[in-house]
Amino acid sequence: MARVLVIDDNAVNLDLMLYLLRSFGHQVDGCSDGISGLTSAQSNGYDIVLADILMPGIDGYEFALRFKRNPALQAIPLVAVTALAMPGDREQVTQAGFNGYITKPIEPRTFVLQVEAFLT
Amino acid sequence: MEYAPDATLIVDAHGRILLVNAQTERLFGYYREELIGQPIEMLIPARYRTRHVGERKGYYADPHVRPMGVGLELNGLRKNGTEFPVEISLAPVTTVEGTFVSASIRDSTERKAFERRLQQLNAALERAGRAKDQFLATMSHELRTPLNAILGFTGTLLMQLPGPLNDEQRRQLEIVQSSARHLLSLINDILDLAKIESGKIEFAFEPLDPKEVVDEIAASLASLAAEKRLEFATQVADTGGAIVTDRRALAQILLNLANNALKYTETGSVRIDVWATNQQEEKAVAFSISDTGVGIKPEDQERLFQAFEQLDPSNTRRYEGTGLGLYLCRNLAALLGGTLTVSSDYGKGSTFTLTLPRTQ
Repeated sequence: MARVLVIDDNAVNLDLMLYLLRSFGHQVDGCSDGISGLTSAQSNGYDIVLADILMPGIDGYEFALRFKRNPALQAIPLVAVTALAMPGDREQVTQAGFNGYITKPIEPRTFVLQVEAFLT
Repeated sequence: MEYAPDATLIVDAHGRILLVNAQTERLFGYYREELIGQPIEMLIPARYRTRHVGERKGYYADPHVRPMGVGLELNGLRKNGTEFPVEISLAPVTTVEGTFVSASIRDSTERKAFERRLQQLNAALERAGRAKDQFLATMSHELRTPLNAILGFTGTLLMQLPGPLNDEQRRQLEIVQSSARHLLSLINDILDLAKIESGKIEFAFEPLDPKEVVDEIAASLASLAAEKRLEFATQVADTGGAIVTDRRALAQILLNLANNALKYTETGSVRIDVWATNQQEEKAVAFSISDTGVGIKPEDQERLFQAFEQLDPSNTRRYEGTGLGLYLCRNLAALLGGTLTVSSDYGKGSTFTLTLPRTQ
């Protein structure tokens, strides 16, 4: 069982990811924006953080920048789960500091496995 | 000189106007009596006059044919005080009375306006291009987001995470799932096409081993072949080493063709063969995908490569597809410098052959 934080401004997609992770026994929290995501990540110890890219307020790129600059957080695996799936998007996401990139639509049968692969 | 299309003036060493033509009168709005004997500077806006006197003297020291004020914005001054942009060329005229200068002056208002219009048009085109790219990216993102919820929750239900399903519930959910997947592949194909047509597709040409790519395709389709109990074989002959092409595009074409072959074949086999060949005297590699499926009538074989064509309308219920796949493949093949052709024995099967140059 891992402690997972999921950040997505789309309530339905957040619900989906939380539901899947919870169904496979993980302990999950959800946030709908990057700022509250950072706050939550700092006060609760997570094993992994999943974040959307296009969000109001700070976007996923900015979130990754701040996350990876924070000594208390930078070692935690950070994975983008995004509908940005055009050529070049993966590179941009990786450059921003994300450790992984999963595109939407997610594959519900393998999603949790994909996430678990980033846990060491 | 009198009827020359440009305003033409002869000026002496002191900058006095000796002679003008009819176009000079029209262009500057003076009668020639008002011009003859006057300093040439009267036709120049006041702010340039002092500088002009110096430049005029410099020209007399070394007179030769040349345009005036290259790279500068030159302006003429009409009698009524209005200014207009001009282009001027200068030439020395040697007579028994000494050396004079002939100046040809052309009103460049229209050319300038035309240049401005052209610049505006180019800027508008660039903006439109960027807007189109932005639109494609936004569409891709916005369409995927709701599909994520549809495919996701259909998936959780089919995985029976919330609770057991009866057979009818399962059947209906599978229909939702396959329709949503179909919608996703339509979106992907349309976006790919839009990228090709706007020249936005980016290729990374690199040397690669054809066998490696074919093996990957075979591995990803093995389960589909097994499900349909079809024999699925690949054979890569010695192709003489690596070929230089774009891995993603090659894989996309082969995957599309092999997937089609498996989809349209009910019994028998699908095979992928690779061998060395020539394409217009150049060394090339051919990839063929053969099936023992329904086959294609000769009259339908070219129509197959057009957008949104699926040959037998009654098939569409049995075989899902966007009707864009082969159109996309042929476009991609052309962009890789290759060709995509089909041969078929109706009722016995089809062979699609992709021929790619060995180097780019």
